[in-house]
Amino acid sequence: MNTIVSPVQAEPAPQAASRLANFRLIPRIETYPAVVSFAQTIAGKAVLLVLFGAGLAYTIRTLKDWLVLTLCLALITFLPARRRLLVTISTLIFTFIVPWKAYQNPVYVFSLIAGVLALGALLFWFATLWPRSWYGRRPIFFLLCGFAALIVVAAYTPRGTSFSRVLWDLTQILSAYIWFICYSLLDRNAPGRDPVALQLGTYRPFWGSTHTPFPKGAAYLRRIEARDAQQFAVIQLKGLKLLAWAILITLFGDVFNKCVYVYLHIPTFSQALNLSANRTPLPWYICWGSLLAGFFGGIISLSAFGHQVIAGCRMAGFNALRNTYRPFSSRTVAEFFNRYYFYFKELLVDVFFYPFFLKYFKKHHKLRLVGAIFAAACFGNAFYHFGRDLTFVQQLGLGGALAGYQVCIFYCILLAAAISVSQLRHRKPAPDGFIRGQLWPSFLVVLFFCLLDVFGSTERNYPLVEHFRFLGHLFNLNF
Amino acid sequence: MDQMTEIREFMKNLLAIRHDRQPFSDASSLFLSGRLSSVDAVELVVFLEEKYGVDFAETGFDQSLIDSVDAVASLVRSVKAVDQSAFR
Repeated sequence: MNTIVSPVQAEPAPQAASRLANFRLIPRIETYPAVVSFAQTIAGKAVLLVLFGAGLAYTIRTLKDWLVLTLCLALITFLPARRRLLVTISTLIFTFIVPWKAYQNPVYVFSLIAGVLALGALLFWFATLWPRSWYGRRPIFFLLCGFAALIVVAAYTPRGTSFSRVLWDLTQILSAYIWFICYSLLDRNAPGRDPVALQLGTYRPFWGSTHTPFPKGAAYLRRIEARDAQQFAVIQLKGLKLLAWAILITLFGDVFNKCVYVYLHIPTFSQALNLSANRTPLPWYICWGSLLAGFFGGIISLSAFGHQVIAGCRMAGFNALRNTYRPFSSRTVAEFFNRYYFYFKELLVDVFFYPFFLKYFKKHHKLRLVGAIFAAACFGNAFYHFGRDLTFVQQLGLGGALAGYQVCIFYCILLAAAISVSQLRHRKPAPDGFIRGQLWPSFLVVLFFCLLDVFGSTERNYPLVEHFRFLGHLFNLNF
Repeated sequence: MDQMTEIREFMKNLLAIRHDRQPFSDASSLFLSGRLSSVDAVELVVFLEEKYGVDFAETGFDQSLIDSVDAVASLVRSVKAVDQSAFR
């Protein structure tokens, strides 16, 4: 039996409101049958590629990157049956060939990268070979502990030696790949798991990523891959639309930055924090201006970047969800975290939240939930950022970096506590009415994250007390 | 209420909390399509543990296992089958 269920009987909306709700700045071209049919023809594919390439030319600044990316997408567009293999080849091209001239000593750098990729492949292979062994049951724990141990060894190796330099370079490169390897290891027991060759295609894939895998790993790619020509055309059209969004958001971001920082002369958050720490704080309303500008500017740039990366992924035939999707419509802290940086949240959930939630405190629901949230949003979040920003460890030593990390740890604790409260409150449908049901809760959530941003600085220049001092200035409290 | 109806009702409530007014079929993808999130997955996991004794620590967890009403029903059936064979 296949029942169609309508969750809530929607009341008929007034015609004008309905028209407004259905208005799209970029039309839903993927729902037009004629466009979808055309996108399946050779001419249609060529047009799509030309349009996408033109869009990429705006977002990608170097000619070589643009040309190679467009060529890789063209190959995948015309040879969809070999998609996954071509993704791996394209990724390897972007790893080893495109940046060749960017390094002073490319052979050395690429040897280290090859070593890290080989390590990932070996760990994956061992985990599939001996799934019941001590390592096979908890390979991610093993990997993360090994990474932490490597940081400690690198930090305590006498500086200035070539061994120390190699060790640091290796640690930095492992840090760039570690979460991609984690996703491979999560895929180890899946029935139709990909072989190592295809897993490699997901290690910093050619469409782009940060230290966070966009969009997750090989298991996710298998599920969202286009199954036929029609699906492929629809996904590519969605990719083209998303790239158009990325360009619009980038343009908006440029105007926003110019208005705020050039015409209104609002200092950046970093400048405002520096002045506050030097006991020459700006007036409270300028502090708010700096904080709000930094917060909204950050969301705009993350949206534009995420849209561009996911657009490339969709153009390759994978129907990935957007990284940032209407964060300001969030009615809870947890929802904002989900909508603001989806793939980072997914990483924390997959690697830290579920393993804790599914194993510990099963009889104590609240403890179990809070424990899992702290494992992900606090410990996982802090571990991710500590492992990412290794330059601080290199410069300040392990103790100094940990001491400078107090603000980030406080940020993670606050975030985890807020998500816990948000999740422990009984979930129920929002009250009726736009103001009570949507606007007010969204305002509170955005205000919370905006204030949390006071502690979200990645510069580590000042102790926690200076961030509290800035928080005080926001409310005209000078201490 | 039979098992399918219970699962369907639970999914329906999760969607209602998210103001999702679109209809869904038993085969509709709810998690991988983004209609439900990992926050909802947690509630579904607890529901399946308490109602049907599913232990994800044993079976392994993956969102595709609970992506649709059909997938959840199939998971529950497979867990029940394992339980019954263990008692034989």
